[in-house]
Amino acid sequence: MSNNAVSLYLDPQIRDWVLFPITLVMILVGILRHYVVLLLQSPPKELSRAALREQRALARSQILRATAANSPIPTPFYTSISQHLSDAFAAGTYLKDGPPKGDSPSTPPNPISDPAAMDGMMSGMKTQMVMMVPQMIIMGWINFFFQGFVLIKLPFPLTLGFKSMLQRGIETPDMDVRWVSSLSWYFLNFFGLNGLYRLILGDGNSADSSRDMTTSPFAGGAPAAANPVQDYNKLFKAEKDNLEFSEGLHNWVGNDVENRVLRKYGKLAPAY
Amino acid sequence: MSLPSALQKLASYRKNNTRASQETFKEGLVVLNAGGTNKLGDEGWAFLEQLALAAIDVGRLDVADRCLKQLGQKFPGSPRVDVLTGIRMEATESPSTVLNYYDELLRASPSNAAIWKRRISVLRRVGKIDKAVEELNEYLDTFYTDLEGWLELADVHSSCNQYQFALQALSHALLLSPQNPFTFLQFAETAYTAGDVPLALKMFLVVIDMNDGEDEDTIPLGISVRAWWGTKLCTRLLVSSSSTHTSSSNTSVPKNIKLIDELATERVLTAYSGEQGIQARGLVSKWMSGR
Repeated sequence: MSNNAVSLYLDPQIRDWVLFPITLVMILVGILRHYVVLLLQSPPKELSRAALREQRALARSQILRATAANSPIPTPFYTSISQHLSDAFAAGTYLKDGPPKGDSPSTPPNPISDPAAMDGMMSGMKTQMVMMVPQMIIMGWINFFFQGFVLIKLPFPLTLGFKSMLQRGIETPDMDVRWVSSLSWYFLNFFGLNGLYRLILGDGNSADSSRDMTTSPFAGGAPAAANPVQDYNKLFKAEKDNLEFSEGLHNWVGNDVENRVLRKYGKLAPAY
Repeated sequence: MSLPSALQKLASYRKNNTRASQETFKEGLVVLNAGGTNKLGDEGWAFLEQLALAAIDVGRLDVADRCLKQLGQKFPGSPRVDVLTGIRMEATESPSTVLNYYDELLRASPSNAAIWKRRISVLRRVGKIDKAVEELNEYLDTFYTDLEGWLELADVHSSCNQYQFALQALSHALLLSPQNPFTFLQFAETAYTAGDVPLALKMFLVVIDMNDGEDEDTIPLGISVRAWWGTKLCTRLLVSSSSTHTSSSNTSVPKNIKLIDELATERVLTAYSGEQGIQARGLVSKWMSGR
């Protein structure tokens, strides 16, 4: 094994002209990518009042329901709020486009035809492109010029299992695992530079591309796009039943409060 | 006042949302004159906003203008700076000018909550209560979770003697902050003023019940003194004429109202047993005995 290690000498020129340039280029591309993404990001589109109201109407009834079992407000107040909400949900007052007309079957809008949803998807795709294109170019560059280069020797021994990770592009069965090939060096940088970017650019930077790699180009935009597609009319109808259910559970904290206070001050025998 | 300690104090004000304008202004001026904004980095802008608000509060509009100018240069077209400019305008311009300014901003971005709220407050200030209430209702219908807004609505209704409406607004406030005894106390007092004594009594008792730190051996302090006084006022009315009191919310009068009355008397008198309260104790016991 030691024989093996001695048998291979690396030209210092490889270090100066291959190892350092690859690392440097990858760092610089990451930083460039961060700023390009910043440029491409369009400010989040402002929702109209009606859309905002529609989005938040559900939170309203959820707040009400959350307190039902131990409600801070007396029954008549609770019932009036609850009734008002369920009437509004039934009538569709909170819908963005006003109450539904006639009895036309409500179909969830197609995300492709909705320009607002399309925007979200496009911005996700744009970021993906900014990251895919330079990485593809770098990989091509390395593959073209430095294919089969051995760049560096790790200062510690590794088991044979690391061979496929560290010596990609060099198909030799008996070379020591400590030698790292150029393509593997590229991958090590690709996944490992995030810590460095965080130091240079601060948290929440968009320089790290390995994170986006794991998601498909459509997945980035999907969660944002899924929101406007929701059929609020259906959600409201479901919420109406929940409200009725909670109304039955309603119990005002004040119902038995006098006895609790009297017991606390020792004026009434404890209940148990 | 040294720069680091001033900065630290200002940061803690910002974090806790403390309004202490006089102190903020005093320390902020030290920082501003020492050129500390550049050293602060990104936090410097939050500091400038804080100082501008404090300077408007204490009437040093020249300092506010300096802050605004810097902010405006850094963030042109930022809604937050727009609001700040609006507040600055409110200090000197006529209400109609400010209203026009807000109208314009709202036309550009209809869902900007901060500007909407400023507009409502200006409407209330110039006496257009009906318009303010209308806008506030619409605002709260959109931004339901704004506790401040509900309390403001309750306040507006109370100021017009519309106690039932105030109670409704307060019930929304209670839903949003069921852990805050002060909201309960306000509800109780509003109910008392509205003439719904049984409801008020229950709510006063809830306030007392929420106060875990107190039991029969401690002297009531702060909010609980007020709550016990409220309880006493309610029980006094209810004991003397239990049957005649109707409650618009159908709250029933507790069965052991006599016991509560005795307890409330005892607790109120206890509140006046400390060193500070002892002088007033005679007066209080006279009031207690004189039905």
